[in-house]
Amino acid sequence: MIQKKMRKLKKIGFPALVLIGLIGACKKDDDKVNNPPPIVNEQEIITTMTLNFVDSSNSSNIHTATFRDPDGDGGASYDIFDSIKLEANKTWYTTLILLNETANPVDTISYDVLDEADEHLICFTPSGTSASVAITDLDGNNLPLGLQSTWKTGPAGTGTMQVILRHQPGTKDGTCTPGESDIDVTFPVIVQ
Amino acid sequence: MLRVLVRIPGFLFLFMPAFLYSQVDSSGKVCTASIEGRVLDEHDQTPLEYAAIYILELNKGTLSSETGFYIIEGICDGTYTFRITHLGCSPVEQKVEIKGKTIHHFYPEHHAELLKSIAIIGHKPTEQSTQQKNELSIEKMEQSKGLSLGEALKNIPGVQTFNTGSTISKPVIHGLHSNRILILNNGIRQEGQQWGVEHAPEIDPFTAGKMAVIKGANSVRYGSDAIAGVILIDPKPLRDSAGINGELNLVGMSNGRGGTVSMYMDGNFRKLSPLSWRVQGTLKQSGNVSAPDYYLVNTGVKEYNFSYTLLWKKPNYGAEVYYSQFNTTIGIFGASHIGNLSDLYAAFASKVPLETGGFSYTIGRPYQHSEHELFKARFYVNTGDKGKLSLVYARQYNLRYEYDKHSPLNDSLAALNRPDLQFEITTHTADLIWEHNPIKNISGTVGISGITQGNTYEGRALIPNFRNHSGGIFWIERWKKNKLEVEGGIRYDYKWMQVFKYAYTGNGKYTLISPIHRFHNISGTAGFIYKVDSALNLSLNLGTAWRAPSVSELYSDGLHHGAASIEYGNDSLGSEIAYNATFTLRYTPTARLHIEFAPYTNYITNFIYRQALSEPVLTLRGAFPAFNYKQADAVLSGFDLHASYALYSFLEIAGKASLLRAWNIREKNWLILMPADRYETELTYRFKGRKKISGASVSSSFQYVTKQWRVPANSDFVAPPPAYYLVNLHASLSYRVKHQDIEVGLSINNLLNHSYRDYLDRFRYFSDAMGRNVTLRLKVPFNGSFKA
Repeated sequence: MIQKKMRKLKKIGFPALVLIGLIGACKKDDDKVNNPPPIVNEQEIITTMTLNFVDSSNSSNIHTATFRDPDGDGGASYDIFDSIKLEANKTWYTTLILLNETANPVDTISYDVLDEADEHLICFTPSGTSASVAITDLDGNNLPLGLQSTWKTGPAGTGTMQVILRHQPGTKDGTCTPGESDIDVTFPVIVQ
Repeated sequence: MLRVLVRIPGFLFLFMPAFLYSQVDSSGKVCTASIEGRVLDEHDQTPLEYAAIYILELNKGTLSSETGFYIIEGICDGTYTFRITHLGCSPVEQKVEIKGKTIHHFYPEHHAELLKSIAIIGHKPTEQSTQQKNELSIEKMEQSKGLSLGEALKNIPGVQTFNTGSTISKPVIHGLHSNRILILNNGIRQEGQQWGVEHAPEIDPFTAGKMAVIKGANSVRYGSDAIAGVILIDPKPLRDSAGINGELNLVGMSNGRGGTVSMYMDGNFRKLSPLSWRVQGTLKQSGNVSAPDYYLVNTGVKEYNFSYTLLWKKPNYGAEVYYSQFNTTIGIFGASHIGNLSDLYAAFASKVPLETGGFSYTIGRPYQHSEHELFKARFYVNTGDKGKLSLVYARQYNLRYEYDKHSPLNDSLAALNRPDLQFEITTHTADLIWEHNPIKNISGTVGISGITQGNTYEGRALIPNFRNHSGGIFWIERWKKNKLEVEGGIRYDYKWMQVFKYAYTGNGKYTLISPIHRFHNISGTAGFIYKVDSALNLSLNLGTAWRAPSVSELYSDGLHHGAASIEYGNDSLGSEIAYNATFTLRYTPTARLHIEFAPYTNYITNFIYRQALSEPVLTLRGAFPAFNYKQADAVLSGFDLHASYALYSFLEIAGKASLLRAWNIREKNWLILMPADRYETELTYRFKGRKKISGASVSSSFQYVTKQWRVPANSDFVAPPPAYYLVNLHASLSYRVKHQDIEVGLSINNLLNHSYRDYLDRFRYFSDAMGRNVTLRLKVPFNGSFKA
């Protein structure tokens, strides 16, 4: 009986081997090679940072400064890189806005930063003739955030303002040291 | 080891330790004559380890050491018949006269296909290559169990690793890696995302019975990409007699508190003798590793792998099916993921990584996960007495997920927890090869091979989708007479590749483009072996190899986190062609001394390299250095030296040196990221066997790596790290329990817990390398006779 079975097994032996082998090869790529995924909204990209300045003594006196890299880091270069132009000896209510313009409709990333305020800090570093910055918004732990700030300009001149968005999950202590930089742009500043 | 020996006739002496008794002459005096020497490959004189040397008249024998050295003491003067058996060689029987202290070398010949008791798989014509081939010794393979493939191969002179911390290591041969070397896993070219320096080969080292490296350009036999060499990972031969046996390996490591369990079982049924099988599996987990002064956060690894083999073997034909799966999840050291260049400088300026923590097995972001699946089917048939025809088909599927340090800010995107990079590549290969038996001293191989491949991505478009079809045809012949062997070969390859990617057309708009690239090349090889006498063997190999530019070099576009650089591919790159000469001298003047010296030069035309652009690229994240790909002629020359000397039968000293100089001819400058000079000495003490204990040894090695000062100026963020040295300790023994030798091994790497950074480690910007690591290994073979 066993002999018979064995003989039978011998006959079907090899085809059975191949079959078992083929069953093993089960993982498959379901994507189409000739149809890559479109580059929209798949990834979170920050394309644009805009600073909005409102004159504290005249709310219709508004300035903006924008840095825009329309396809994100790498690839094509930036297409807008403004200088910050402000009048001398004034106080400015400043709002920072971050956008993803590759998404349709445009995604306002600064809302997401606000949602995760306790993981983020915006650091402003003036140099030369620039402005002095005081952050006016706070996160849930009463630590500064930086989407809202007050800028004070002195006499006329030129300088720079470095704007850094620090991502500090679990390590935020109110200083710029922990975490890493998600944004780092140094704007030219003209005080006139 | 035991498993291999079981099939060799005359293995029984193992059960009667030879050292325990001496012969007594007719007058009753204990004999003091001895015989010692080396067992060397008949063709290229490489030392053969674990060859059995057996005196038929005395039922007495021993095994050769890692360097082929053997000694049998306590014999009376006289003439005896020696039988030398070694896996893959025909047994040699030879009469030798022993008078006092006798020195004699044995030269068994590799001829796997003629030897019935040896399974045919694993045999390759390159076994007799004129190229420099180094096999990883069984001793070193045991010592590196539990480590990655790259770390194991590092024991071979001329092989280094390119690391991303201690858990990701890519083998480097003579300064080149990634797409410039070829890995043949079980005879199949390993195809994954090998262009990436942080993409380690997806191979379980426990599947290997043998690891070897062929150094030098070698496109003729293996096809494109073998610019610097080929790594061969071959499994042990399957059982060919009825029964079941297997092996359980347990490895524990102190650094990372890691553990590995690996097991295999081999079998063959008496009632179904053509069928042999093996099942094998490995589980591995480790947590955060530590440098001497701190833990490296998020450096854990989880891995599970399995494979099986079925072989149907008849005298004149046979078929084999092999399937393996490799799955790994590797944490990426948190502090190595940086936002921009200022972060990188801050990380480097800090003595302690900016992110530290304690021990944990948890793998968090950033991490990578990869899976590799290989299915192979092989058929062969003996074409009369003329030769052998074999057809090999293989399918590979490789999946790679990479997760950034942070999930998206947007909650709904974050909830999807998608990998930020995803690649899937599916490769089919087929080879048809005819090996003809010697006709008037000439033997050879003719073959055709084809590859078809499809790659897709999701997430960031770091490299595009592509489809690739290539084919090649080759012919190699080899002539042998007396002291001289000559080999010559030629090959033609053609490669067609179509890329599918979105090109940016401005105003946030993209359009799909699908350019086609075509490459072709003729390669050649010529090799010579000249055996001056039994002590001196010279070989010279002249070979060419080529590779088409990889898709990352043609099209990569974007920011590399962790590398703090922006890369632009260059879609007008052409093929790289290497012209290589390697000379190998093997000298064994006495039984105790073995020297192998191999100088080489590799002249590469159109060598593809990254060059920094003069202006950094300004992004929202800050300014990044930018690179594009260029081509120029380069020359890489150096030598590998390996020597061993047995001071006494129980004490052996060995030395290794690898030096390389790599020069960009057009730029008149050094090539970046080339290994520094490396020296190593090792002292091994072997204890005499006692009762149930055998093969006990202790060895200590000292490694010295110089500072790599031969780098192009201003090409790196920070200067290369200083020279460093490491002291390692290994000890092992076998203990006999019921006819099974249980092997226990202990290794201490970086014994002095020395803080150092290696130039070829990408984490050198962020942290010191791994500190002291104590590894304990246990190998339990089991063997069951099978009654059916």
